[in-house]
Amino acid sequence: MPVLLEMRDVHVSFSGFHAVAGLDLTVEQGELRCLIGPNGAGKTTALDVICGKAKAVAGEILYRDRNITRWEEYLIARLGIGRKFQVPSVFKDLTVRENLRVAHCKKLGIFRNLVSRHDGGSMDGLEKLAEIVGLKDELNRQARRLSHGQTQWLETALLVAQDADLILMDEPTAGMTSAETHKTAELFTRLKGRHTLIVVEHDMGFVREIGDIISVMHQGRILAEGKIAEIEQNPEVKRAYLGSGGISGA
Amino acid sequence: MNASNYARWRLAGYLLFCCLILIFPVILNNDYLLNKFMRYLVFGILSAALSFSWGYAGILNLGQAVSFGLGSYAMAMALKLRTIPIQTGAKGLPDFMVWNDVKTLPWFWEPFHSYAFAIFAGVAAPMLLALLLGWFMFRGRITGVFVSIITLAMLVVVNLLIIDQQRYTGGFNGITDLTTLEVFGVAFDAYSANTYYLIAGALCVVLLGGLAITQTKTGLIMQAIRDDENRVRYFGYDVAAYQNFALTVSAGVAGFAGMLYTLVMEFASPTFLAVPLSLSIVIWCAVGGRSSLIGAALGAILVTGVQGTLSESPAFLDTWMLFMGAIFIAVVLFLPEGLIGLIDIGVEAINRRRARTGEDRSKRPAMTVSDIALERSKRVREG
Repeated sequence: MPVLLEMRDVHVSFSGFHAVAGLDLTVEQGELRCLIGPNGAGKTTALDVICGKAKAVAGEILYRDRNITRWEEYLIARLGIGRKFQVPSVFKDLTVRENLRVAHCKKLGIFRNLVSRHDGGSMDGLEKLAEIVGLKDELNRQARRLSHGQTQWLETALLVAQDADLILMDEPTAGMTSAETHKTAELFTRLKGRHTLIVVEHDMGFVREIGDIISVMHQGRILAEGKIAEIEQNPEVKRAYLGSGGISGA
Repeated sequence: MNASNYARWRLAGYLLFCCLILIFPVILNNDYLLNKFMRYLVFGILSAALSFSWGYAGILNLGQAVSFGLGSYAMAMALKLRTIPIQTGAKGLPDFMVWNDVKTLPWFWEPFHSYAFAIFAGVAAPMLLALLLGWFMFRGRITGVFVSIITLAMLVVVNLLIIDQQRYTGGFNGITDLTTLEVFGVAFDAYSANTYYLIAGALCVVLLGGLAITQTKTGLIMQAIRDDENRVRYFGYDVAAYQNFALTVSAGVAGFAGMLYTLVMEFASPTFLAVPLSLSIVIWCAVGGRSSLIGAALGAILVTGVQGTLSESPAFLDTWMLFMGAIFIAVVLFLPEGLIGLIDIGVEAINRRRARTGEDRSKRPAMTVSDIALERSKRVREG
């Protein structure tokens, strides 16, 4: 499989604090990569720097061999990189249907969008998507009226609607019940292959369910990489997690 | 009520309103009242323009009066130049320039000999200013209350500049003693039905055109930006460009309203781009309903109408400000969506009653907080 994303010796610092310090990460097309690590390891910042929310002070990020290190967020997004945030963020005053329409758009300019009605066009794919994430009956409901789990689902659905090639997920199962988590895992397994996913997660059960290759971050860099069984046996990883009850208690 | 039904009723509401304001002069045979009503409609246009940027794109432009004032001055300059032969002789200058000892007509007055240019400038100048200001603000990721502060500061700067440059702008007095606008042989006198139809027609075009824009995908993305601009950015939209579009269109419409206002008032004054007016626009918008163009327009007509009536009646001469204040407080406290929000509240109540009495079981009632809590706890138990 060709390499989709390559991060070389990336550094990010917030007024002197190096949240990411010398991160090297290579992700192949179609992969589902889990990014785990103790609190403060720099996992969220790693996603931020890929999608342009944080800027690297050193190092470079290559996406399909293109250097996107200093690109603006919306241009990175147009390349096909989508991002889900830790705190679910959807458009609360819009209906579920409208949320999906905003996310699902191939034309991004103002003037081209001035001549297309927002309630026209094909909705078939989006309705199917809503069915998959269990929001079919909520299409005309305002997003603010959804429950927390539903909101998480909606944001995940938005990323699928966006049809990004590389999807960055920050704790997609936070606040979900175990049944919901299981359902999310199923969806991710379905997305794998057609999309490439990088998932930051704390829930080890979830990681076991979906992960093939896992990258462990510690103090802003990659500590270990490999299959879940290897990772769990890795002495360095155990040491990094000491005090937080080992990897399974994280 | 489903989405397309809602859109149909809303369009009907807009059309009904347009018809009402267009037939108004037929039932009202009083030039003085007609002139007053023209003012209210101009404010309606101005308020609808703010609703476009504030209600739809979340940009609270406290300097909306800058655009209004620039439009007003553009029209006044053109009308003033036509008075020269009568007031100061064929080769003269506008009268206030003569009093201020100006010898030659300033270069930026020259093109205003042409009405076409003046009308163009009245819309283009505010748009250009908004575009420039917006470019700096939105590229710099300035949002929310800081946008309001910057636009307010801009308003104060332009206002001071116009007052200070008395030699070229008429200063505190503004530009007075204007001629009547005449285009293609039609005169737009401040008390004539012609002018009323021009203004009412402009309001109709602004409302229906604005509604059409908000129904496009661009309109949808503006609303998404209002909700969560970062989320929109990560879908690949150039958020700054969309915000700039909203601000600039709004400024252009406000500039046009300013030109109409000069026709109604027969002068241009620095008070047209002063802080009190600019803040009044925000109040009209909030009272009527900022996320509805027609709501904002109605808010302006209603508030200025009540204001006009109360302030002129002897009984309320001293207390009318108190009444206005009480209305604002009541609306802000109890109707966050403005008066137009009453319609939604009414519709929801009817739907709920229908669902309860079982007339129409297919329509689900709006979910309340307790419903959501119940549903969540059910799910937790299942999990």
